[in-house]
Amino acid sequence: MVIRLHFAICIILMCILCGCSPSYQWHQSHPSYRKAPTDSIAVTGLDDAFVVTRSSWFAKRLEISKDSIQTFTSHFCAKTFLTELRKSYASVTVIPDAVINHFPEESQKLDTRIFMKGHLPEQGIVVKDSAGKAPAYILIIHEFILGTDLQRENFFDYALLHNEAPEKKTSKNLTAIVSYTLWDNEKQRPLYSAVNQFDQPNMNLSLSDIERIVSTAVKQITQNLTSGVQ
Amino acid sequence: MRHVILAALIFACSAFADNVFFHHHWTLWKDAEVLIWSADKNPAIDPKEFCLSLKRNNTGIGEPKCRLAGEWERDSIAMRYANWLVANMDGNVKAEHLRARHPAMVAKIQSVEDRLVLFIGEREGSIFAATFDENNVEPVAAGVFTGTKDKIALGDKIASAFFDGSAKRRLSKEERAKRLTEPDESYKEIPGFQGWASVAIGYSQAKIPLTPNNWYSSHINSRVRGYRITKDSVSLWNFIDDSDPQIAVYLGGTWYGFIGAELMYRYAYHEVKTDPQDTIYRELSYWGFHQHEVGLNVILSKTYTPIKWFKATPFAFIGFQYSFFVEDIGLKDNHKKPSKAYDVRIKFEDSYKGALVGFGSHFVFLNHYGLGLRAGISSRGRNIEEDPSPEAAAEPTTIGSSTIDCFVNLGLEYHFSM
Repeated sequence: MVIRLHFAICIILMCILCGCSPSYQWHQSHPSYRKAPTDSIAVTGLDDAFVVTRSSWFAKRLEISKDSIQTFTSHFCAKTFLTELRKSYASVTVIPDAVINHFPEESQKLDTRIFMKGHLPEQGIVVKDSAGKAPAYILIIHEFILGTDLQRENFFDYALLHNEAPEKKTSKNLTAIVSYTLWDNEKQRPLYSAVNQFDQPNMNLSLSDIERIVSTAVKQITQNLTSGVQ
Repeated sequence: MRHVILAALIFACSAFADNVFFHHHWTLWKDAEVLIWSADKNPAIDPKEFCLSLKRNNTGIGEPKCRLAGEWERDSIAMRYANWLVANMDGNVKAEHLRARHPAMVAKIQSVEDRLVLFIGEREGSIFAATFDENNVEPVAAGVFTGTKDKIALGDKIASAFFDGSAKRRLSKEERAKRLTEPDESYKEIPGFQGWASVAIGYSQAKIPLTPNNWYSSHINSRVRGYRITKDSVSLWNFIDDSDPQIAVYLGGTWYGFIGAELMYRYAYHEVKTDPQDTIYRELSYWGFHQHEVGLNVILSKTYTPIKWFKATPFAFIGFQYSFFVEDIGLKDNHKKPSKAYDVRIKFEDSYKGALVGFGSHFVFLNHYGLGLRAGISSRGRNIEEDPSPEAAAEPTTIGSSTIDCFVNLGLEYHFSM
């Protein structure tokens, strides 16, 4: 009896503790998302999605001039992203950003205070690749933020958006935050939308660290696409 | 395996049977203009026949006018959305999943005003229908109906599924313009002053619930011997009955729905607890005290409006009161001359001053008519009107200087705001 009481008290305490700390839902599935893409997928957003938040820090570590660090990492990450994606899917089609970017930018709600912004194709318009074919699924990468010790809520929780960044920047971890949508091109609806955060202990930054975090991100995204099926 | 086949059969049947996916509240206008919007060249229902279906189904709908939404059908954005809707409507989705996303489409739906838009689309032999109103950028109702060539039967089905309920009179242009300038009910400001008058019945007793009996037992069980003798006289409940009904009148108001004040008057009658074994009372016909109390309370409250026509205002109050006990005594007819003890019987103070504290709630219906429920504790003590004299210690103790009871009231209220 006493044990049962203690157990109940523990459960209640846990509920209170969980209730106190803010918890977010970082993904959203469409109720009709029944089947994840298995062998072929199209991807878009890779031209503009990659952003480095501390360009001078990255430029210094990678020994690249500060002016070209954004372009360089963007190309490097996009290449790595595609290479990794090709390991998971037999056929990967790249759709240029320009195809999607002319659609209005919209907010997708993931949680009460979590909104992710991005361009989504219009209802009733099927997106075609350069060969004129309409892929069934398009993975739209809205943002891929690369930085150190970042927290995704600071970017996507509208209540925290205007918070001043702390004066002292730390660099314990290399962080990547990715917001993406799996788009059903046939029925023009978002099947799975999520914001994922990846942290990787930062020793001495090199290109292989960036390569590793992008690969981890891609692996996780493909897993999430499968686990998000309703 | 057999279960799976059975489930599949049930699912297949239900997929083609009539099924309303969702039906949210929307305003059904009387004498409405109904726009029938479809991506199909030959829509599954006929506008004229549908109007007759509406009238047959809902007699309160007046004289609706139905026509095809030509302007929507010529708009390529609206047509793309129409095709998209047909492809995406199924039993899994909620209204939010069918939201129109294109800004031009959103604007189009919001400019519907007091017309009713009925969307009709055909997919795989089933007819999908949805309705739109000006307040939502997503369908307010949607469903699927078995495909049929009989346009009248289909119109009847759709009319009964979506167009039931009471119809409202369409507003004139001026009324619509005025309504646009009116504040939204949800953001309505709390009136500056909200007043109420209340008549309540209640009950009071010395014992406060959840407290030990022995705090009160000596007072409650006490009896008056020889018109004045009790064990102690600290509480009036040593002399008179404590548990009696009471009536009360309250007149109060709150400012900005938060802080308020109220005047109160309460009345109760308490009989004196004469000792039945005391022969001296044989001459006595009745003996009791009318209790009159007037007081002033300060109130802190908060108003909740869960439904438009109902408000609940929980409040807490603290205040002070003056109590007056007016003696009512009479001898039996055959005892013309009272006993000596009768003449020197116990006398209470002219008035007592006390405090009261408690909580309660107003439940207001249709902004005016309310029920009030409250409970609290009130005390009566010495009413000190002048400084105590230096010989105060030598003076006899005040009778009833610690008379405490608790009360509960249920009142009928009338509320008004200014």
